[in-house]
Amino acid sequence: MPTIKKYDAIVIGGGHNGLTAAAYLARAGKEVLVLERRYVLGGAAVTEEVFPGFKFSVCSYVVSLLKANIIRELMLPKFGLELLPLESTFTPLENDYLIRTADPDETYREMYRHSPRDAETYTRFGPLMGQIGMAVRPILETIPPNAIRPSFPDLSAMKKLLNHFKTLSDEQFEYLTKLMTMSSADFLDEWFEFEPLKATMAASGIIGTFMGPRSPGSAYVMLHHYMGDIDGSFRAWGFQRGGTGAVSMAIARSAEHFGAKIMTEAPVEKVIVKNGRAVGVALENGDEYKADKVISGLDPKLSFLKMVDETDLPNDFVTDIKNFRIRGSSGKVNLALDVLPEFTCLPGNGPHLRGAISISPDFDYIEKAYDDAKYGNFSEAPYIDIIIPSVLDPEMAPPGKHVMSCFVQYAPYNIKGGWNDQKREDFGDAVINALARYAPNIKEIILHRQVLTPADIESTFGMTEGNIFHGELTLQQLFALRPAVKWANYKTPITNYYQCGSGTHPGGGITGSPGEMAAKKILKDW
Amino acid sequence: MVHYDIIVVGGGLNSLVTASILGKSGKKVLVLEAKDQVGGMAVTAEFAPKYKCNMLNDTVKWIDPRVMKQLDLVSQGLELVSPDVVRIALDQSGQHILFHQDPNQTAKSIANHSDKDAKAWQAFATYIDNLSQFLEKLYELTPPKLPDLGLKEVLSLRSMLKPIKKHGTRGLVDFMRVVPMMMPELMDEWFESELLRGAVSTAGINHITLGPFSAATGYNLLHQHVHANGVFHHAQFVKGGTENLANALLRSAVANGVEVRRNAVVHSINVANAVCSGITLNDEGIIEAKQVISGLDPHNTFINLVGPSELNPTFYTQLRNIKYRGSVARIHFALNGLPEIKGVKEDQMNTVFSISPSIEYLERAADDAKYGRIAEKPYIEFTFPSVSNSDFAPKRKHVLSATLQYAPYHLRGQHWSDDLKEQLRNNVIKTLENYIPKISSMIEYTSVLSPKDLEDKFGLTEGNLNHGEMTLDQFFFMRPTISSAQYKSPIENLYLCGPGTHPGGGLHGANGYNAAYQIIK
Amino acid sequence: MSYKNQFMAHTQLILSPFFERTTKLNESQEWRRWSGYLAATNYELTHENEYFAIRTKAALLDITPLYKYIISGSDAQQFLDRLVTRNIGICKVGQVMYTPWCDEDGKQIDDGTVQRLANDKFRITSAEPNLEWIEQNAAGMNLTISDDSKTTAALALQGPNSRAILNSIASDSLDSLKFFWMMNTQFHDISVTISRTGYTGDLGYEIWMDPKDALSVWDLLMDKGKSYGITPTGLQALDMARIEAGLILLDVDYISARHAIIEPRKSSPYELGLGWAVKMKKKDFIGKKALKAELLRGPKWNLVGIEIEWEGLENLYRDAGLAPGLPSTAWRTSTPLYHGDEQVGYATSGCWSPILKRYIALAHVKSEFSQLGSKLKFELKVEHFRKLTPAKVVNTPFFDPERKRSCPQ
Ligand SMILES: Cc1cc2nc3c(=O)[nH]c(=O)nc-3n(C[C@H](O)[C@H](O)[C@H](O)COP(=O)(O)OP(=O)(O)OC[C@H]3O[C@@H](n4cnc5c(N)ncnc54)[C@H](O)[C@@H]3O)c2cc1C
Repeated sequence: MPTIKKYDAIVIGGGHNGLTAAAYLARAGKEVLVLERRYVLGGAAVTEEVFPGFKFSVCSYVVSLLKANIIRELMLPKFGLELLPLESTFTPLENDYLIRTADPDETYREMYRHSPRDAETYTRFGPLMGQIGMAVRPILETIPPNAIRPSFPDLSAMKKLLNHFKTLSDEQFEYLTKLMTMSSADFLDEWFEFEPLKATMAASGIIGTFMGPRSPGSAYVMLHHYMGDIDGSFRAWGFQRGGTGAVSMAIARSAEHFGAKIMTEAPVEKVIVKNGRAVGVALENGDEYKADKVISGLDPKLSFLKMVDETDLPNDFVTDIKNFRIRGSSGKVNLALDVLPEFTCLPGNGPHLRGAISISPDFDYIEKAYDDAKYGNFSEAPYIDIIIPSVLDPEMAPPGKHVMSCFVQYAPYNIKGGWNDQKREDFGDAVINALARYAPNIKEIILHRQVLTPADIESTFGMTEGNIFHGELTLQQLFALRPAVKWANYKTPITNYYQCGSGTHPGGGITGSPGEMAAKKILKDW
Repeated sequence: MVHYDIIVVGGGLNSLVTASILGKSGKKVLVLEAKDQVGGMAVTAEFAPKYKCNMLNDTVKWIDPRVMKQLDLVSQGLELVSPDVVRIALDQSGQHILFHQDPNQTAKSIANHSDKDAKAWQAFATYIDNLSQFLEKLYELTPPKLPDLGLKEVLSLRSMLKPIKKHGTRGLVDFMRVVPMMMPELMDEWFESELLRGAVSTAGINHITLGPFSAATGYNLLHQHVHANGVFHHAQFVKGGTENLANALLRSAVANGVEVRRNAVVHSINVANAVCSGITLNDEGIIEAKQVISGLDPHNTFINLVGPSELNPTFYTQLRNIKYRGSVARIHFALNGLPEIKGVKEDQMNTVFSISPSIEYLERAADDAKYGRIAEKPYIEFTFPSVSNSDFAPKRKHVLSATLQYAPYHLRGQHWSDDLKEQLRNNVIKTLENYIPKISSMIEYTSVLSPKDLEDKFGLTEGNLNHGEMTLDQFFFMRPTISSAQYKSPIENLYLCGPGTHPGGGLHGANGYNAAYQIIK
Repeated sequence: MSYKNQFMAHTQLILSPFFERTTKLNESQEWRRWSGYLAATNYELTHENEYFAIRTKAALLDITPLYKYIISGSDAQQFLDRLVTRNIGICKVGQVMYTPWCDEDGKQIDDGTVQRLANDKFRITSAEPNLEWIEQNAAGMNLTISDDSKTTAALALQGPNSRAILNSIASDSLDSLKFFWMMNTQFHDISVTISRTGYTGDLGYEIWMDPKDALSVWDLLMDKGKSYGITPTGLQALDMARIEAGLILLDVDYISARHAIIEPRKSSPYELGLGWAVKMKKKDFIGKKALKAELLRGPKWNLVGIEIEWEGLENLYRDAGLAPGLPSTAWRTSTPLYHGDEQVGYATSGCWSPILKRYIALAHVKSEFSQLGSKLKFELKVEHFRKLTPAKVVNTPFFDPERKRSCPQ
């Protein structure tokens, strides 16, 4: 068996978190090798030319959660990071619409049209959420402690967090508690009355989760999505020029700049464990690579139930990982369009097409979509979060043509009878039909369509059950419990084997945070 | 005019507990009950000629042992009986799961459905018992005022260390893991049999509006098993009817020098400049007291009796945001005999039956409520109180009392009406018929209590039996609001002692106990 | 030399009912946002004439963007009494009261005027939207609240000649209309309400009307006012006048407690120099408990007028070889104030007063340093370098002409 050279660290998986970890380690002078299974880098943050001339952010489509310090420290703008702000959030309705833009006066007036109270409350709500986002930041930036046997640094980190919480105002603390526990619908009901507004805001509380807007716990996911930060302005989503793959590529180039080596089409079969220590990896083709540290950017199920043998792990840890909830609930429909869609309620081109378009007319609509999934079907009338990247970045499509990205819920991984080609197409049809209610011309203007079910996301991108966050963002799967108690600090029961994917704290989304924190932890331990 | 130290508004269980303890400590206490009977929800009454029922609760899950001891309820005549079979989860084919006091017996019954589950049962029952011990300790505490936690508060939390010592930090972690869980998550970790999964999940949805797919039903499940001594689905019946619990408390209160007035309707709690000075009765005018304690729910206490214009805006907003949303209804049937249930022996009829064939069944019932409809196929829990209390029905006749979910207070496009109650009754009968085919021919009389009736007759806002949903956002230092979780309201001299406070609903008296000691302090 | 005005941009901002006139008069096409409206910054290329119109002639300002709410019903007075800090019980029909209102911690939310339109009908004006706050606190009361912001248009006519202009138009004489009172009258066949109020500290009036009459009223005033020197006036001139009058501005001199986010940003009326408007003797009102405690403790801060002393300023510039540099417009950048080495406050807005020939500012100063005559140091940039120059606490209003309150004999 040919054994090549020994690295300081090997990162399994070239998802954006794996790449981030690699970049940080390389930046600290370590010799790093990244091994990616696919032909492209990025994992779920990837751009592919799915149809000739039409480029898609195949999975993730908007960026806001990428941490500012990572952008700075890895010099990402130099390597191609360029975020184009979305101009609006547009909720088409049967005979009307709701549009929110960056201009506070414009938004106030638009909201006033629907509810004077909401228009006012909205001006207080945003800053409060921003404030609470700030309040939880220190948690996000803390390496989770070992809750069973806390180390001294764990204790002092906890004390710091505790002191931080004591500085919160009563109001902030109250709302933080509510956000951690309530449903997004209940939380928003306390503030607003206009259903389309509430439903659209609540929608960010269901993205990537197997919950409805009325499910307790969804408010936390909403908060998770509020923690986005572009240029210090909260809740600002942007589109990466060239698609989200360009984010991953920027990180990859940064990693290479710092000396990391990246290999694609290099699927890892197993982590080589000797006497409870990871010493390298074996590829599917039999090649082996040695390293001092092995870091998995995969989800916890793959990292522990596939990459290593259960026998190398303690029983209770295996149980915890098996119990780790990772149900997939989202699908993606990518459309190549001949011309722009025309919304009945707001015809023509305008800022409403240059932002997020949300099919979320009311709570019941989304809740019913969830009910379908709860009982094992895809949603007959799904919630859809749409962007048309080509209006922001014309290079995504041939001149005059467009690409449209539809993120869809719900599509349960465990669908009754299992996913097959017919079901995939039926699911695609359901999405198009839901769109056609508001933009009837959609059916005529589709040139190509790509439908991704959770099963497809699993098989193509290696995300177990197609869960976009590598594990649900429920209270019992956060912080010191993500992915399992004792092992939330990026370490694993196997010495020198680490984890850095979205299944670790602080969770999924294009944040780079797990990768960064894991790298920092590894460097500390080195 | 007599001057009182303390007026307790409402004569429910917690009010009586608080009044008794304060009376015992030497205070001059007056309890004002609007109805002609104290006990609040612990009422036993005639619902049809010669038929009696426990209006709301047939069983008592747990009574705070501190209350039992402090007020010596046993010598005041309280007698609790717990049958060997505490619950029967009905199966259409007669393969019921019997929950026994003895987990091994339960496991045997589970084995009819799954060997794997049967093997796991003992461990599960122990697991839940261990975790509920954390709640037991928590329930004895006055919630701290957060976020500015003082040293004193931190020290008061140290009693939590006891269960940690016993079950390790792993126990604490499991506790924190299970509390926010939803039922299918918990069940996926343990069981495969649909009937068992449904039957266990009923503890998670007991008396709440959410379905088993809701996060933190884990908390409610643990809440049902506090002081259950390891018996899953633990249930106790009060000998002679649930009202005897109230009677024992009343005797204790009177023995402690408390004055209890019935038919005394409080018209308002008098507050000026954020200071409470007493109450005004509908008929007799003002009565002053140094302190007023309300056993009513926060909405009734503050919004109805104090009035919004005496509340500071933040507190008012917090009060308005408390979620009640009752969705439990009660139905009492007067039967011409004791029905036969296939597979249930006659000596097992003194138990709690539940119709909960699967988690999905329960969730679908909750779905109806979510959209403002009554459940077409409700989750039903029922008993035959006349089996152990012969005076509940004429000879050889019987009473079937059912609690059903979900029947939401907030309906869409309609209001609670006799027609709707009739429809609810039919849904219940149809569901019961699957297990008791002859039921409809046995019914002589029916009484339906909708959540609206619960509000109107028992003063429960939106018909919520817990005086506020048992959810994590209304738990501990958030119950009833973050500004009033220490049994003390923002209004000076006005306190709370009802289920709207920590640790929430149930016939356990812990709220009243904690409140009394907080006031003494 | 002049060019034909061809500015015709589309705007997302609201256009006031006077816009058709104001846009034609706005030579500079300088606008700013005011409550979502497009509001003139200046009409001329500089604001000086407009400022002097306020002080020496008559200035006409479009104040439609003010938020206005009508509160009516049998509990209206009781409600307002609970909402605001002043005693609305003694406000007679036809009277107007300036008042702050607070949250329950006694921190100021906004300030505005309350007009008693009838025994149980009031109009309250505010700088920010307050509908939610008003509605929330009206729970359980018998009243109706309506947003009058768009249903009533308003102009301010301010300056020594304002009365004469109105007398030449209105069917009733304004001679006996007292300061902070109002009357209904006719401009020909148009019904208007005139209050003797304003934001300039001068003789002045505010005219409230149906938006459909807006243009006619504007034309009448401009026409009859011509010989009195009536001058359309923008916000820049107004800003100077209100500083001279010692009047605070929300979001400039203080932040609403509803939006402040952090505690230190909030201010109580006592801290804003509005203690006179807090009536402790009336029944409970929102914030009373906290304000009472503060009154006993004494406020930590005080909003005061300061004067930047001329000599010091002149010397600093002289040292740099320059004549004294003075701001030509009112500024709104927070500027530190020192006592010795310690920063003891900050000025929030200030201007050179052309009438008074004094450099004045409104400032938050720690109470210990806020008594009249207290000597402070004001931070000033002279040729890019920071300097400290002497300033002292003085009485406000800085400018307070007799005519503001008096009536002709
Ligand atoms: C449809 C969809 C839409 C989304 N939308 C958004 C969005 O708009 N905004 C947002 O912020 N987030 C979004 N997300 C979430 C976000 O994309 C992910 O949480 C994030 O990209 C995960 O990054 P990661 O690096 O942790 O893991 P991954 O991206 O999953 O990376 C894991 C990598 O490991 C590779 N791999 C797997 N097995 C092996 C092996 N055996 N050997 C070698 N390599 C292997 C995979 O190919 C992959 O490249 C979305 C996700 C999905 C699926």
